[in-house]
Amino acid sequence: MKKFTFANLIWLISFLLLISPTLSAQEVSETEEAETVDTYLSFFATYTSNDTVVLTANLYIRNGRVRVDLQNAPVSFTISGDDEQVMAGEVFTDSTGKAQISMPTSSLPRNKEGMITYIAEFAGTDKYLSTSEMFTSKPARLKVSFYEEDSVKFIRVTGAQFASNGESGPLTDETIYIFVPTLFRPMAIGEVWLESDGIGSMEFPMTLIGDSLGKIMIVARIDEHDTFGYVKGESMSDWAIPKHLLVQDKPTRELWTPVAPLWMMITLLVMLAGVWGHYIYAVVELIKIKKSAKKEPSQDKEWSNYS
Amino acid sequence: MLNEREETLLKEFAPQIEHTNFVQAIWMFFLAAIVAFGFYALYVQIAYGHIVTGMRDNVVWGIYIVNFIFFMGVSYAGALISGTLHLFRAEWRKPINRIAEFITIIALLIGPCYILLCIGRLDRLYYLVIFGRIQSPITWDVIAISTDIFGCVIFLYLALLRDIAAIRDFKDIRLPKWRRKLYTWLALGYIGTPEQRERLHKATDIMAAMVIAIAVIVYSVLAWIFSVTLQPGWHSTIFGPYFVIAAVFSGTGVMIVVMWLFRKLYHLEKYITRQHFVNVGVLMLILAALFGYFTFSDYLTKWYGSERNDEMLINLLFDEYYWLFILSNYVGVLLPMIVVGIKKLRTINNITIAAVVVILALWVNRYLIVVPTLESPYLPIQDSRPDWLFYNSTWVEWALTAAGVAFFALAFTIGSKFIPIINVSELADSSPVEEEEILT
Amino acid sequence: MKEESDNNPIRSSRRDFLKKSLVAGAGVVATGGLVEAYLDTQAAESGEKVKVLTTGGEIVEVDKAHIKYPRVSKKESRQGIPGKKFVMVIDLARCKNARACVENCQKGHYLPKGQEFMKVYLLQDTEYTAPYWFPKPCFHCDNPLCVSVCPVGATYKRSDGIVLIDNERCIGCKFCITGCPYSTRVFAWRHYEEFDEDTQPYSPEASSPGVEGTVSKCDFCPDLIRVGKLPYCVASCPMGVIYFGDLDEDVVTNGTETYQFSKLIRDRAGYRYLEVLGTRPSVYYLPPVERQFPVNRGFDGLDEEVEKRYESTPYAKKQKRK
Repeated sequence: MKKFTFANLIWLISFLLLISPTLSAQEVSETEEAETVDTYLSFFATYTSNDTVVLTANLYIRNGRVRVDLQNAPVSFTISGDDEQVMAGEVFTDSTGKAQISMPTSSLPRNKEGMITYIAEFAGTDKYLSTSEMFTSKPARLKVSFYEEDSVKFIRVTGAQFASNGESGPLTDETIYIFVPTLFRPMAIGEVWLESDGIGSMEFPMTLIGDSLGKIMIVARIDEHDTFGYVKGESMSDWAIPKHLLVQDKPTRELWTPVAPLWMMITLLVMLAGVWGHYIYAVVELIKIKKSAKKEPSQDKEWSNYS
Repeated sequence: MLNEREETLLKEFAPQIEHTNFVQAIWMFFLAAIVAFGFYALYVQIAYGHIVTGMRDNVVWGIYIVNFIFFMGVSYAGALISGTLHLFRAEWRKPINRIAEFITIIALLIGPCYILLCIGRLDRLYYLVIFGRIQSPITWDVIAISTDIFGCVIFLYLALLRDIAAIRDFKDIRLPKWRRKLYTWLALGYIGTPEQRERLHKATDIMAAMVIAIAVIVYSVLAWIFSVTLQPGWHSTIFGPYFVIAAVFSGTGVMIVVMWLFRKLYHLEKYITRQHFVNVGVLMLILAALFGYFTFSDYLTKWYGSERNDEMLINLLFDEYYWLFILSNYVGVLLPMIVVGIKKLRTINNITIAAVVVILALWVNRYLIVVPTLESPYLPIQDSRPDWLFYNSTWVEWALTAAGVAFFALAFTIGSKFIPIINVSELADSSPVEEEEILT
Repeated sequence: MKEESDNNPIRSSRRDFLKKSLVAGAGVVATGGLVEAYLDTQAAESGEKVKVLTTGGEIVEVDKAHIKYPRVSKKESRQGIPGKKFVMVIDLARCKNARACVENCQKGHYLPKGQEFMKVYLLQDTEYTAPYWFPKPCFHCDNPLCVSVCPVGATYKRSDGIVLIDNERCIGCKFCITGCPYSTRVFAWRHYEEFDEDTQPYSPEASSPGVEGTVSKCDFCPDLIRVGKLPYCVASCPMGVIYFGDLDEDVVTNGTETYQFSKLIRDRAGYRYLEVLGTRPSVYYLPPVERQFPVNRGFDGLDEEVEKRYESTPYAKKQKRK
């Protein structure tokens, strides 16, 4: 065994001194809130076809591997360019942890490359740590329209991008994805390539099913673009197949419906009537037997069971 | 008023009705104890849930349903024998008529109790009436069984009426006052006038026909509960007639056993003769042949076509259930045919033994219809729990089965104390010549 | 119509890990995550604690004020969501018995471990055909034998195609269990503690809290559909095996991929199980062609008890012999 030298003693004392604060801190912390929680923001900006930008921020924490959203938390949005910063507003997250704000893109500050920087911040509290996220993109616009040529129907997408001075030029050489909204998730129906004039077309799929009047919303989207981020444009078309509405005027008569098939009801009724009719006859006879006994004033000794 | 013949007969049977001897008391106490234990098992089932039975998610119908079908079948035989023989005016039926009627009604009261045991929410039983759906075979069954019970009660009452009146009038019998009052009230003032006799006769004829018809319907409905489902093994077109035949077959077996017991215990050798056993035995033989035929037909078509699940079922029957299958479908068919068919073997005791085997064979037959099908569904049972893979009946189910059998015997014993087990009035009706015919 | 960021098949090359987790997160949000109240400015907390399913499939204790899925009355639950006809597609080429569907369904419906609404079988139709993992929910047949045989009308088929059970009317006769050729229904043989954990009022659309002595089964989660969420099994499958949608709209989605239903079935040769029985199921299967995983991956990471279930299957026996 090694000799316990003076150097060892110094190490030991320093070690004890080092850990002693934590020892005492644990005691103290037992009486107050256990820990602080890290928060996260997922944040992006979408440009819509009426020249507005929609900022969407989702505030959440991680409970182990599970993501848990925070509701009713204030998220503040800021727009920053090279020189100036504009406060866009403060929004409280909704029941799914989402905070959203929208504003026109025309007057927003830009940086040198013409990009706008959006910032979402959560100030934090005692329990929840503050966090902030940044998203940078250049404004663009997608417009969806419809035309027919040689009795073939088309979807046309027109793309535009906006320079720093507000001038718009065509959005060229991009792939735009076309969706239709459905009950749970948007469904992709095709893609369009924007040529040098910023216009692209695809054939309108004639198998789409719309509402009862044949109306359907066509959505053109750019997602996760390096420059433009998220861009969305939509327009209503009435070229879809009208949706067949399941409306039943009268209940059908099947084995599994509340109303039974007619033949079944009739058969049952007839059989029951037949059988119970006979029962009633027998019971009536019994009653008559009893009645006839009452009619006899006294027991007649002559009658017997023996015929 | 009683005639001489009736008086003689009643004198013979009076002792049974008057008092219960020690042995009979012990017997009834023993049966009551089994029934009480059955009630305890019922309490356990209600308190702990159906998990105490052997039924699980695949075999959801077990011994309770088997008992239900079995007792209903037995009841039908009583109805058929008393009903048909009444309509045929067969003289030899007279001494055993009452036994048949009693079997009908008692089995009919026990059978439905077993469905009740199988129902998960007994507190909601009345939903069957207020929410009943006509498309459901169970609704058909509820309607049919209620109709059957009502009809059999009326039929029994009609059959008992004359004997009740006879006892009421019999002076030589020592009965407590309340019993005499009961008989008087039940007799409905029947005194045997020609008008009353005519009415009774017509009513009994009608009811005899009805009872036969309703019994066929009830038992077919019971069969359709199984055959309208898609379960391999159940979805067979033959089930309707098959169940009816099997029912009457089992009933004749019970009939013979009960006949033998009463003959022995009440010393009725004079009235229930070897000929009666042979006659019912012949009935049993015919039904055994028919039953064998239907069974063979059913399994032949399943085996020959060898549809996957049919094949699986037959393999299951011949692997897991081999000896039970042999008992039920070979021994149960051939033994009664041999015993009754060969003259030398045609003794009372032999026929009774054959009848006991028939009863067992038919109970097993019902079990083999209900359980193996549920153990071989379309989607294989992939479970780690052994009691989910195969049906393992528990003591609760067996206790309640025993209670049912005990109650059957108990009700019979009590019934025989209330009214002569031989139909005295009808027997007295016969002229001496006819009587000679019956009793030899 | 909520629009979450969506993956489409054309851009599948971009499905890198980060995106998938973001999308999964978005999908997770869409399927109803637990919401923790921001404590400083909260609405009055009821103080009553209750357990809630989180998106990752864990049970967390949460204040009762946070329960989200509304439950409709029994009368309303017989009506059906108007104008819809629900259909499910299960892709057998992707299933590897991860059992997330089984477990999430059990948690969402407060089921004990022994009761499963979604069952996963290991099937091999015959010696030379492919073995496959077979997730089987209730098929919600268009000719439901279970509904036909119910004597009290406790189980019913709605206009939107969903077959539900009213456990306050069920008398427990179990005729429907024998009526179903797919062994879908389960019976509550006794009271389970898990039933007590659901403190919301009973609704046939939620099939919860369970009632002893009655029958229950997969319900296609109408209470989730009404608030725009996909059923538990659809949302939780890590391989995206289960698709769900409206037949009248002709669209099904598994949360990340969305397809036109008729095209999907036609192109991938979809079929219905045991079609010949005439039950007309609402669940279609895509055959296990070009499997994503070998079948024996389905045995990875299984509980011992679960692994035991498949021991007697022909495939497992063959594996053993090797």
